[in-house]
Amino acid sequence: MANPKAVCNGHYHQKQNNLLKSGIYKKNGIAKQIKKNGISNGSFYKQPFTEHFEQAPLYVAVFTYVGFTVGTIFGYLKDFLRACGIQKCPFAIEREEQKDFVPLYQDFENFYTRNLYIRIRDNWNRPICSVPGPQFDLMERVTDDNNWTFRFTGRTIKNVINMGSYNYLGFAETDANALKTVADDLQKYGTGVCSTRQEMGNLDKHIELENLVAQFLGVEDALVFGMGFATNSMNIPALVGRGCLILSDELNHTSLVLGARLSGATIRVFKHNNMQSLEKLLRDAIVYGQPRNHRAWRKILILVEGIYSMEGSIVRLPEVVALKKKYKAYLYLDEAHSIGAVGPTGRGVVEYFGMDPDDVDVLMGTFTKSFGAAGGYIAGRKELMDFLRTHSHSSVYATSMCPPVAEQIVRAMKCVMGLDGTTKGLQRVQQLRKNTRYFRQRLHEMGFIIYGNDDSPVVPLLLYIPGKIAAFARCMLEKNIGVVVVGFPATPITESRARFCVSAAHTREMLDTVLNALDELGDFLQLKYSRNSKSSRPELYDKTSFELED
Amino acid sequence: MPGRRGRRWDGAVRCCVVSCCESCRGRGRPLVSSPGPGGAVSELRGPEDHTWNWTFLSKGRGSDVISVIKQFQVCLASVGANMNVGTAHSEVNPNTRVMNSRGIWLSYVLGIGLLHVVLLSIPFFSVPVVWTLTNIIHNMSMYIFLHTVKGTPFETPDQGKARLLTHWEQMDYGVQFTASRKFLTIMPIVLYFLTSFYTKYDRIHFIINTISLMSVLIPKLPQLHGVRIFGINKY
Repeated sequence: MANPKAVCNGHYHQKQNNLLKSGIYKKNGIAKQIKKNGISNGSFYKQPFTEHFEQAPLYVAVFTYVGFTVGTIFGYLKDFLRACGIQKCPFAIEREEQKDFVPLYQDFENFYTRNLYIRIRDNWNRPICSVPGPQFDLMERVTDDNNWTFRFTGRTIKNVINMGSYNYLGFAETDANALKTVADDLQKYGTGVCSTRQEMGNLDKHIELENLVAQFLGVEDALVFGMGFATNSMNIPALVGRGCLILSDELNHTSLVLGARLSGATIRVFKHNNMQSLEKLLRDAIVYGQPRNHRAWRKILILVEGIYSMEGSIVRLPEVVALKKKYKAYLYLDEAHSIGAVGPTGRGVVEYFGMDPDDVDVLMGTFTKSFGAAGGYIAGRKELMDFLRTHSHSSVYATSMCPPVAEQIVRAMKCVMGLDGTTKGLQRVQQLRKNTRYFRQRLHEMGFIIYGNDDSPVVPLLLYIPGKIAAFARCMLEKNIGVVVVGFPATPITESRARFCVSAAHTREMLDTVLNALDELGDFLQLKYSRNSKSSRPELYDKTSFELED
Repeated sequence: MPGRRGRRWDGAVRCCVVSCCESCRGRGRPLVSSPGPGGAVSELRGPEDHTWNWTFLSKGRGSDVISVIKQFQVCLASVGANMNVGTAHSEVNPNTRVMNSRGIWLSYVLGIGLLHVVLLSIPFFSVPVVWTLTNIIHNMSMYIFLHTVKGTPFETPDQGKARLLTHWEQMDYGVQFTASRKFLTIMPIVLYFLTSFYTKYDRIHFIINTISLMSVLIPKLPQLHGVRIFGINKY
């Protein structure tokens, strides 16, 4: 087939460019999208699966290290000055009586905190004094001694645009009409449950909520817990134990990692969203068995998340399920960020890929993000849920969810499902999708490096250089926009980022305000590192015809 | 023994938990109780609270006295907090991956180049002296940062397994002969060749440079992984 698009024997033969299938292409010698997640198998996906993880030019990485080196040198200098007494210690000195005691901690372990983090820590833990909706109010605080202590001026900064809260469907609201049922339940049940599910804390509200969650997800039964983190950390130990194998994604959340470590099972980590790596681990596990005695593993559990909150990437669920079926492993899907946020009707990644919820053995999620409440759930088959009801520490010993919160989840879920008789929920889901697409598309056009899937409402914008982390957050606050920034060691050393969470409650005007501010700030701070070629004539994007106009 | 621990970075730190957290200041409500004479950490509340604030005071010992404070705020929902080590990745100790990161080898070479150029611009040093100085300063810095300083500059979630390990021992979790280890072994050798050439193999320079090279090559041997000669730098 010399001609790439030949028709031969009635079949249309097209030369497959393998690189193109995996989503990378070279132009002018620059690899546009670095292949980080392996080659994807296109036949599994019913819609295009596009993820971007572009790498910045090398000089940016060099400057990042220069930044950290300068910070470290100044850190050592300041420590020396404090030790000599030339600089005042802004913290208390230990007592004389304790000089001879055995030391408990190393001061080097604290080096990063006191010399790098504290200098810019006015960008975190900002106190909010309103509902974290699309806009919120901040308490203004100033520092007189370089962020060692803060003092509130008494002023409130009003209507700061909120780009950091996980408010995907906009249910963080204070509308009295919408919260009427919640207020009624508060009158009826009070605030506290004062007991565990096994004793006196099993209310009819919990049963109603569990049935609703099961109906929402399309599974047999569900179990709800008062705390999202505890759902993962307490239930994974109930499912697996010694002699079992856990295959966990590289970028899994701390709750999953903690649950896996508490369980006592062997943990192996596969590269983020990389199906070749996962398959290799599965094959090795089955062929070689347990490490010393080579017996078969009792269980193999694959831990993945729906949307990874630091990368904005979506799990390749069809391929994971195919692998799981081939190698007879179990799948635990943590949909903390993706439930309510993706999928045509907001039912999460399972619906997003058009798959059957029965394929996933354990569906887990939280109500904190899309439903404006607190707590988590686990859903799946009825036998599994009954087992967890008796064997999970969370359900046996932890206090159950409080009734007003449960009612908030019930009303939010009914809204999303359309059971309240309106289409408001569906509108929210669609608005979120529109907002996500718009926000991401505009940021790509502007030239920022954005990570993640085109459909994920979590948008990490890469900042790279440590000095820009604080500068970005502070400048955005001056423009009345609140953002969340992260740096090393929470992220890899070269990849500090600002993370935006798009919400259905954001109007187009709010997003435009944010985007214009980002445009200005991107030029000022030199953040537009993307090397994907943009048109030099952006006004041509909107043209409908190219006829000459008189 | 108390008197032994005079070294600055050597873990000679005692702590005692102090009174109020920052947000409770002014309301007189202590978050954790003041320490008794034993100076132990007392009643740290668990993650059910929305923030916990511990303030540790510690002071090094001996003449190099350092007073540090550890103000550690862990917010429950805050996945993005800078101080949550390994939140965005399940890398327990990020220090192990630093030398493999993108662009660090280039930055390292550029750093040596910068040092050399700075030394060259000092008017009263001749070229052989400048090369020997580059070699010595490079090897000394490498010895201090890779083979002397122990632990991590941040708290890791593995209860401090790497506290007594130097950075060289922490690299790649102790796996020997990885790419970064080979790079960091070859760099001083290349520098040594260049220095020998530019000092025209003069005897004094040769002795100094060779001793300096040995001081930085011997700790990198796999047989010396975790070895502390005469107990120096053990704790």
